[in-house]
Amino acid sequence: MFDRLSIRHKLAVLLGASAALALLISSAIAIYSTYVTETEDSLRTLHQTARILSENMRAALAFHDAESAGKILAALHSDPHMLLALVSDEHGQFLSAYRSQRLSDAQEKNLRQRLHTLRAQHFADLAREGGVVDLVEWDAMSVLQPIFFEGQRIGVLALAADVAPMWSKVRTFILMQVFSSAIALALLLYFSFRLQAIFTRPILELIAAMRKVAETKNYRLHLASRSRDEFDDLYRGFNAMLSEISDRDERLNALATTDALTGLFNRRLALETLQAMAKRAQRKGEHLGVIMLDIDFFKRVNDRYGHAVGDHVLKEVARVLRACTREVDFVARLGGEEFLVLCDNGTPAILEAMAERIRSSIAAHRIEYEAGRYVQVTVSLGLYSIAPGEQGDIGQWLVSADEALYRAKETGRNRFVIATKLPDKAGRDA
Amino acid sequence: MRRRTLLSFALSWFFLASPLASEEEKKLQAVFIGRFASYVEWPDGRRERFVITLLDDNPFGNLLGELYHDKRINGKPVELRHARRLEEVGETDILFITVANFQARRAAIEYAQKNGILTISEIKGFAENGGIIQIDFVEQRVRIKINYDAAMKSGLKIGAPLLSIATVLRGEKP
Repeated sequence: MFDRLSIRHKLAVLLGASAALALLISSAIAIYSTYVTETEDSLRTLHQTARILSENMRAALAFHDAESAGKILAALHSDPHMLLALVSDEHGQFLSAYRSQRLSDAQEKNLRQRLHTLRAQHFADLAREGGVVDLVEWDAMSVLQPIFFEGQRIGVLALAADVAPMWSKVRTFILMQVFSSAIALALLLYFSFRLQAIFTRPILELIAAMRKVAETKNYRLHLASRSRDEFDDLYRGFNAMLSEISDRDERLNALATTDALTGLFNRRLALETLQAMAKRAQRKGEHLGVIMLDIDFFKRVNDRYGHAVGDHVLKEVARVLRACTREVDFVARLGGEEFLVLCDNGTPAILEAMAERIRSSIAAHRIEYEAGRYVQVTVSLGLYSIAPGEQGDIGQWLVSADEALYRAKETGRNRFVIATKLPDKAGRDA
Repeated sequence: MRRRTLLSFALSWFFLASPLASEEEKKLQAVFIGRFASYVEWPDGRRERFVITLLDDNPFGNLLGELYHDKRINGKPVELRHARRLEEVGETDILFITVANFQARRAAIEYAQKNGILTISEIKGFAENGGIIQIDFVEQRVRIKINYDAAMKSGLKIGAPLLSIATVLRGEKP
């Protein structure tokens, strides 16, 4: 159930629960403290009454004057919470008693029994001057006060009062505590709902950013944190993760589109690029040049010098190709010793110039495969310039260039042939 | 005046002639004598001992001796005396009077008033006739009667707690 709640609701629930627990504990402590304080206050009052009565009672006890003792006790009528008062002499004989009219016979009997038991339990305490004994029970509190005359105990005063006023105060306090706690809890819940945004806003922003990245695949997104707390660390981590994904994406893309040996673009990208460049050329009304070239007798190089030297030759040819082409041109390795150059605005004249530059540069390039040892290769090139508005497809254009290349090979290699039209049309020799 | 004196005499005789108070009452009286002293303030503490004198009969036997031989009253050791006649009383703090004769008792009261002595008796009408404290036992209950004016005349101050439980006579004849 809790797991299904959103973070903002969880936060509100947690804050509310924490506040409620804190309020419960503090209320329990406050209520207990009030109970103890009220009990002590009530007991203190009863002790004071007992002391005053004892002082007044001393003479009556000293002279066994039950009538005076009764008059003194009669003053307790003014206190409605005083239940029972008993005065006994030094022999334990009752001299006088006071009983509240609220007290039933059974209650009086019960109270007398409890006072008697208390007196018996604390007989030794009551034998010394100042040895006051008290007892707090759920329905009444009692005080036994020994009365001394000239250092001799002449009697004991026993008072019992009800604890209704104390419980009344405790009840009032509990009600106030419950009421104030409810208000405090309501306010805390209200503020927790309002303030939870401080915590949830960064999380919600993060979630929105993640959704946006998932939709747009834009891993270069950067989130700016407005805080300097743990959320700032989270944002930094998120940004670092996005950056890493972006870099990895680029690396994977490069691996997918690049020839690992030469660093040129691969065949798959070359075909896609030819399509895109053809569309752009058509849109701009320009030519697009296609040059296919192949290293002459490359198998012999491999056979004679080994594949390592062959790979080195491929890399060097690629380097020369890059050097001989423009920034706007596209150079790819189609596979084996076959390469493709796409020339932006590649008119036949431009194509021919570029092809010758490539051919001559490679032919003149001495490739050092070991220290002081060189190998030289030549290339044959097939050219095709796609004119603006020309109908056809990639396959036809490439076949045209390839047929021109074939003718260049057939006619002696180390040369270029430009195909004039469609595949069935033959190009002229270089 | 004469009729009144005769009446008092007759009443005193009647009560004295009545059966003697019980032993328990005597014991209480003996205890009370000492306790009264705690509520009475004498003019000065001129003696080193607290003297209790019984005038005429000794109704207590050895009770007083047993009670007070090791007790102190107002911080002083207690001395018990027994005087048959007023002339034998001398200096004392308390004079417990059992004199049956009204005139003789009156003379004892006058002597006590002049010498700052607390007079106590169980004789009926004692307080009304100038005695300071009268102890009555009515239906086994103690009644204390105090002649406040007589105490004042004797220079004695009686504490409020004792007055609060006693029947106090004021403005009565001395």
